[in-house]
Amino acid sequence: MKKEHKHENTKKFGMVIDLDKCTGCGACMVACMAENNVPFKKDESDKLDSITWICVYKLTNGKSFPDTEICYLPRPCMHCSGIGEHGHSPCVSVCPATATDYDHTTGIVSQIYTRCFGCRYCMAACPYHARYFNWWDPVWPEGMEKSLNPDVSPRMRGVVEKCSFCFHRYQAAMDKAYTEGRRELEEDEYQTACTQACPAGAITFGDLDNPDHKVYELKKSPNAFRLLERLKTNPKVYYLSSRDWVRKAGDNYLEAESKVKKKIV
Amino acid sequence: MKLNRRNFLSLGVGVVAGTTLSPLPWKLMDDVSIWTQNWPWTPVPPDGEVTYEKSVCTLCPGGCGITVRKIDDRAVKIEGIEGHPVNDGGVCLLGLSGLQLLYGPTRIKSPLKRVGERGEGKWQTISWNQALTEVAVKLGELRSNDRSHTVACISGSDQGTVPGLLNRFLTAYGSPNYIRTPSIHDSYEIALSLMHGGQSSAGFDVENADFVLSFGSGIIDGWMSPVRMIKANSIWKNEKSKVVQIEPRLSNTAAKSDTWVPIKPGTDAALALGLAHVIIKESLYNKDFVEKYAFDFNAFKTIVLESFGPDDVAKITGVDKKTILSLAKQFAGASKPLAICGRGQGKTPGSIDEVAAVHALNALVGNINKPGGVWAVSQPDYIKWPEVQMDAVASSGMKRERVDGAGSEKFPNANYLLNRWVGAVNSSKESPVQALFITDANPCYTLSDTSVVKKAFDRIPFVVSFSSNINETALNADLILPSHASLERYEDVPLSAGLTKSVIALSKPVVKPQFNTKHVGDVIIEIAKKLGGSIEEAFPWDDYETCLKATLGDKWDALVENGYWSDPDFGVPPWEGAFATGSMKFEFLGVVRARGGEKDVQAKHLFTPVTIEGNEKSYPLTLIPYDSLRLANGSIGDPPFAIKTVEDTVLKHKDVFIEMNPETAEAYDISEGDYAVLNTPKGKARVKIHLFDGIMPGLVAMPTGLGHTGPDEYLAGKGINFNELIGPVEDADFGLDVVWGIRANLTKA
Amino acid sequence: MTTLDDKAKEVSPDVVGDTNQTSSPDNCNCENKGKDSGGFILLFFIIGLAAALVAGWIIFPKLLYSQKKQPIDFNHALHNELVEEGCESCHFFREDGSFSGVPKLAQCIECHEEVQGEDPEEEKFVETYVANENEVPWLVYSRQPDCVFFSHAAHVKAAEMDCTVCHGHIGESTHLKTYEENRISGYSRDIWGKNIAGFKKNTWDRMKMDDCAKCHQKETGSKGACFQCHK
Repeated sequence: MKKEHKHENTKKFGMVIDLDKCTGCGACMVACMAENNVPFKKDESDKLDSITWICVYKLTNGKSFPDTEICYLPRPCMHCSGIGEHGHSPCVSVCPATATDYDHTTGIVSQIYTRCFGCRYCMAACPYHARYFNWWDPVWPEGMEKSLNPDVSPRMRGVVEKCSFCFHRYQAAMDKAYTEGRRELEEDEYQTACTQACPAGAITFGDLDNPDHKVYELKKSPNAFRLLERLKTNPKVYYLSSRDWVRKAGDNYLEAESKVKKKIV
Repeated sequence: MKLNRRNFLSLGVGVVAGTTLSPLPWKLMDDVSIWTQNWPWTPVPPDGEVTYEKSVCTLCPGGCGITVRKIDDRAVKIEGIEGHPVNDGGVCLLGLSGLQLLYGPTRIKSPLKRVGERGEGKWQTISWNQALTEVAVKLGELRSNDRSHTVACISGSDQGTVPGLLNRFLTAYGSPNYIRTPSIHDSYEIALSLMHGGQSSAGFDVENADFVLSFGSGIIDGWMSPVRMIKANSIWKNEKSKVVQIEPRLSNTAAKSDTWVPIKPGTDAALALGLAHVIIKESLYNKDFVEKYAFDFNAFKTIVLESFGPDDVAKITGVDKKTILSLAKQFAGASKPLAICGRGQGKTPGSIDEVAAVHALNALVGNINKPGGVWAVSQPDYIKWPEVQMDAVASSGMKRERVDGAGSEKFPNANYLLNRWVGAVNSSKESPVQALFITDANPCYTLSDTSVVKKAFDRIPFVVSFSSNINETALNADLILPSHASLERYEDVPLSAGLTKSVIALSKPVVKPQFNTKHVGDVIIEIAKKLGGSIEEAFPWDDYETCLKATLGDKWDALVENGYWSDPDFGVPPWEGAFATGSMKFEFLGVVRARGGEKDVQAKHLFTPVTIEGNEKSYPLTLIPYDSLRLANGSIGDPPFAIKTVEDTVLKHKDVFIEMNPETAEAYDISEGDYAVLNTPKGKARVKIHLFDGIMPGLVAMPTGLGHTGPDEYLAGKGINFNELIGPVEDADFGLDVVWGIRANLTKA
Repeated sequence: MTTLDDKAKEVSPDVVGDTNQTSSPDNCNCENKGKDSGGFILLFFIIGLAAALVAGWIIFPKLLYSQKKQPIDFNHALHNELVEEGCESCHFFREDGSFSGVPKLAQCIECHEEVQGEDPEEEKFVETYVANENEVPWLVYSRQPDCVFFSHAAHVKAAEMDCTVCHGHIGESTHLKTYEENRISGYSRDIWGKNIAGFKKNTWDRMKMDDCAKCHQKETGSKGACFQCHK
């Protein structure tokens, strides 16, 4: 009885990001920082140690003037579910501390800062650079700690952090639902901070398995693709682009790859 | 019984065994692990009750509705108001970083008086009473010497009660010198007054347009109201509306457009006239509008057909003939075509010729005051204060000519000319400005040729800033009377940034003032009371809040509840009765006539290229600025969150990158990441090179919004302020700064 | 140098208790030592064992926790009688589903604007806190580290659990017990439980992660994913 109940509650939260609409404005990055108490340093121009749970990448088609094109691509954590939805995401399978796990009821990959001891295996394993290491203790300038969100724990030096799909917002929405005698959420009750802030409405968030949610149909678009699909990480973040070169940029192809394939075949 | 070695060992084994059997090691291990997870220097944000407070973002003129999430009395997150007439839930990264400005450690905590040299940054904390008394004494002195007209005020806005009170104060005191900081609105206001007649600002019904022809406007890079424009851009994608972006650099807007048309910088007006040529020649224009509601179409037609043929225009603009023909046909063929201009974010006025030519395109297709078109919007008129009773000093002061010459015989059409004001202060033997107040503006950073602006400040004996942090302008002030941050105060914010609605928003005190600051409105009222007489009488309110509530009247409750009030009856008049020019019709050549082309209209009256500084020989390159939403370039600089989003091909450590086409770079034997020294006739800067295919060869582009001296270590000292490398270029007839770039050369460092 | 000798001696069997144990140490130190210690080796072991057990079970807990008095001795039982909705009258759920936890001063002021009874504790409360508008610095027995997310709504509303399951019968107490603060971790002794060994008789005796997990395993069939209880 209880198990059945649990089963019907199973969700697969994911995102569909419309790259045709994304303007690269950066609002998602800051919405995320403000929501999740992401620390900041005096110099953030070294992007290898600059923590941005969602990071907007700039892609170009590599053509020269005036045929140049640009496309922006926001990259949160992909919350990979692995082959066959077993939850063997690259990071979860390597963590020696069980500081990150795959939640089968929501499809969200967690990161528990107090559990993490900073070996950074997960960072090496993640093909999307979605994980960041706290090389320093976060410092909020005097007074600014007043703006910290109590729903997300500030991290300490020596631990890895990453996008949580604003899981605390799910918790808060569930709390509200429980007090109203519900166990199910409406689509708009749980939305990530980036989705909410995006001025372009480029990000759509919801349960990928729920036909009533917008993402269900969006992910089926012929323009939809995921990053590095051939690695079989099975990411839960889909992208939409009407441009061929952008869709192609979503995966890695060697220059001579087509030839190699032919030879094998 | 001896404690010999064996017994001792035995004792030890016993202790070990006993300890193992006791909870001590296990409990200690648990406690210590908890201890290691809770360093005292890692803050634990206190939990509490969540509430939301609706307000308006005032960090740019966009006017987005925001709702601030609070935990007890702490503001923790800024979000957009869903259903708001401007931003409908969206919010930009600057707005999202707003709390860092509110809680930032560089806020000025109490009134400051300069003790060192100007710009040295040495301050003494003084009481509000002392500060206000010093201001009142100085103002009293000037007034008793009949020099009331030497007091000036620079403000970022001229709408709403706070600018209203400042203006009222100057009137009652006796000075005509209220100046708004320059922007594209100056040009649009002048163009609209000459072509439509009357005072209005341009509203753009972008949401309903189905073909958008943008002459360099950074639609999604922060033009007008940034979030609204990005939303419109998504509507265009959904509706399959076409966007054509005309500019020499692949900006984000160009990247998102359907067609990017690179053009020689500064020739946009010629292209617009070229398109007009094709539209007229092929008879694609809206005959109804042109015949019935336009005054001088034939004269316009004659000159455009004569001088702006596609071949000539192709030569001027570098846009090929085929593109010109096709663009004209697409534009005229669309059902709701919209042509817009205002380079980048529109932070500089730009050329009036350009606005006039682009607006003429809209007129040709008859989409003025129509859905999807350009609207001439009059400002909400809700401030009904009794007229100021001026005493003799005030009357004579108000009769004086403005220092900036706006409204004078020479520049009858201009309202504010801050660039000329700087020149006037610098060129007179004794500064015509003896006391200056600055609010909501940072002219020492935002005006072109900042060194000249600073020089002007040096010549003004008494400078008072209302800034809430030490920006470049406050650094050059004598007194700082720190204002409440916008989330700490009530203030009405009438929205005007290109909106096709009449909306007043209300900024609310979401949190209590964090420091010993004061509302600018209260400061004005208190100074007026100190000065007494007719000045005091002009301010019959006890304090600002009383004044604001009385002014807003029955709108107050709605404003407090929703954060905004939208006029339900707002609309623009149909063509019949829409125009208040001499002819009561739309005037294609309104701007031309003001240029003296009344009798003999010549091509040069419609388009004269703006000559930028520097000769081509010593400065073979052209430097242009580019605006980005990630780099706030107005009176407020980037907060820590915002600067964090800046790419490492724009800023690396303290170095700014300039963009250069690989082809140009090859000629200079320069590669990605190289250091170079960029020289312009105005200054030089050490920069790094970023090779970018999206920029026209021969051009180099530099981001705006960097090179701040304050307010904190997150922003100060990073990159170069573009305005240090460029100087104003004045439009001879309108007085506006129409500069769009400057010539430059580059040496490998 | 003497180690070899010692070893040699050690092999001699200790058949009977050495009667010479009181002999002068000057005479035959090495030999006696070997013989003497034979009987005491166990004793010393026991002494060590006992001392360690005493230290670990009795002294250590005393040293580990500091005793702190609550700022006001609150009478739950008394208040419980006066309110209508039991615990939730003061420890209520907010409209958004969040749990208010320990009441804020504003809530207390609703009744205690002025002193109502004769209890000196109440008088102290009104004079010290109500009059000066200072929040009472309550020491919360159930306070968890910042990394813990606990949903009262999920347990009380959805699973319809009673407050006592975790909090025990604090609602029936007439005095607040002494707050024992762990000197190392800074949290209350109630988290680990009164029993230093961690044995529990009642569900509310401990509030450690294992206790959560055990109950979740039993009730839902799974310990739950990390994010269920961590933030």
